[in-house]
Amino acid sequence: MEFNNNIPIYIQVMEKIKQNIVSGKLKLGVKMPSSRDYSAQLGINFNTVARVYKEMELEEILFTKRGLGTFVTKSPERINRLRHEMAKKQINAFINGMQKIGFTKKDMIKFIEMEFNNQERNE
Amino acid sequence: MIKLIKYEFIKKYRLIAITIIASITLNIYLITRSASGGIAFLSLFPMIMGVLFIVDIIKMYSDDLNKKSGYMLFMTPNSGYKIIVSKMITAVIEGLAILLLYFIFIIINGAYMTFQSGVEVNFNDIIYIVNNIISGSFGFNLAHIFVFMLTVLLFLISFLTTIYTAMTIRKSIFSETKFGGVLSFVIFLLLNWGISFVSSKLFNVLDPYYYTFDFSSQVTASELAHTFLPMNILSIVQIILLTLCSGYLLEKKINL
Amino acid sequence: MNKMNELLKIQHLSKYYYNKNALNDVNLSLEKGKIYGLLGPNGSGKTTLMKIIAGLHKQTSGEVLLNNRPLSYKTKANISYMPTENFFYDSFKVKDIVKFYSDMYEDFQVESAFNTLEKIKVDPEFSISKLSSGLVGKLKVALALSRNVELYMLDEPLNGVDVLSRDVIIDLITRSCGENKVIVVSTHLVSEIEKILDSLIFLKDGTIALAGDAEELRMSRCTSVEGIYKEVFGND
Repeated sequence: MEFNNNIPIYIQVMEKIKQNIVSGKLKLGVKMPSSRDYSAQLGINFNTVARVYKEMELEEILFTKRGLGTFVTKSPERINRLRHEMAKKQINAFINGMQKIGFTKKDMIKFIEMEFNNQERNE
Repeated sequence: MIKLIKYEFIKKYRLIAITIIASITLNIYLITRSASGGIAFLSLFPMIMGVLFIVDIIKMYSDDLNKKSGYMLFMTPNSGYKIIVSKMITAVIEGLAILLLYFIFIIINGAYMTFQSGVEVNFNDIIYIVNNIISGSFGFNLAHIFVFMLTVLLFLISFLTTIYTAMTIRKSIFSETKFGGVLSFVIFLLLNWGISFVSSKLFNVLDPYYYTFDFSSQVTASELAHTFLPMNILSIVQIILLTLCSGYLLEKKINL
Repeated sequence: MNKMNELLKIQHLSKYYYNKNALNDVNLSLEKGKIYGLLGPNGSGKTTLMKIIAGLHKQTSGEVLLNNRPLSYKTKANISYMPTENFFYDSFKVKDIVKFYSDMYEDFQVESAFNTLEKIKVDPEFSISKLSSGLVGKLKVALALSRNVELYMLDEPLNGVDVLSRDVIIDLITRSCGENKVIVVSTHLVSEIEKILDSLIFLKDGTIALAGDAEELRMSRCTSVEGIYKEVFGND
């Protein structure tokens, strides 16, 4: 995984894990690698991974079982919520960006449809 | 301590091998070249080895103080006192080894030359001479030799300690100055001068109270020891004080 | 900070030479389990600071406490310092150097050292005088990290090392950290190593210009550690 040094590393790792969970790459209830292994894998500081796991535990996306390790949540409902949270963030960023260049709501929706049609045609 | 001494010798390993081989080669060359070649070698050897010895002693400490390779030694968990004592012990062992090598050459060259000249050597003659030395019929015996050598040894060790202390002082207080070698030498001279000054004052005070012997007739070994005693005590005190001083500086004030 | 977690405490540390001021009233506290980046340009005092902690230089004033005890020859047994220079006896072979370390340091892990040497492609039979500066650089790091102590100080571990080997070294450093250990890395090559740093200490002209948690500094300044470096030192 490539990192952008301008943004806190732990935030980037959290995003990546969330993406993997939401896209299905990381299944429900699967065991995460240990902090040590994962940090070695990613080439980052062990404490950073520990922090990621802690933050995601607070968000109830991961949970830790003492002595056994850290696991992805088993709740499909939480994952759905996560998907919504992530989608909402993307949409809001999109809306803000498009408003800044002068698009109205109607224009935005029309433009999205247009671009999707273009993409399908080019495949 | 033993590990430190071991590594001091390991570091010199190449030098030791070259010296031994070169001496043997030179000896063979001189002996085969002329009849008095053996004697020539035996007179050259102490002079050359004396110089090499002093150079090596200084280098052994100077390299660790001034070159980056000194970090290897000074990062180890050994106190400054241990480090300086290990170097002194190494120097003594090295000196004794050179002496031993010299005796071996004396015996070998002596035997070879006697053999060459065709003189019949009676083993009994040798035993007779040795016996006379031991019993003292030459005016001195083994005990005299021992006292004499002890005095010389103490003197040399105190000399060595003065050299090392001068170098340590230089590296602690004047670590950033240029021409460190010259400065060390100057400090060495000052140190020596200071010690002679103090000791001569002391001896002057002691002199009327100290009985010396008449050397015009035969002196016993114990009388000899008595005469050398002040000097030996001075040497011992010097060794202890200077070693403590160097050790302390190495522990608390050194800047590599 | 939790007293139990503090490994090294430096108070009012100053080092003066008669013609310059190398360190001026440095105060630091290093917490166990963290990797610290000691950052600053040449001459900022990074090496002097490390050498004082390692016992190779003595400070002019101030104190350094390791596990609450002042520095002495005994604390050297708990510190592994890697100098910037090639400091090995050059008549020795690599395996002789390993033997030296194993003789002198009770904590030294010989097997682990040889494993690492294999990984970084340093042949134990080679003489030090024949090693390229890149190999010497890798050897230094390997030996320093093969000790099992609480404080590791690496002075410019990436210097003179090729790009691929730098990754190996960074990986070695990451694997060496542990809950009870502190690793201090000083470097110029900030961008490559900043991912593994927990805390940062910026040293400028012998004083601490900035210190703090790497991630927090990234967030508060909206830039990478390299960016912060340029901010702190760039305007001279």
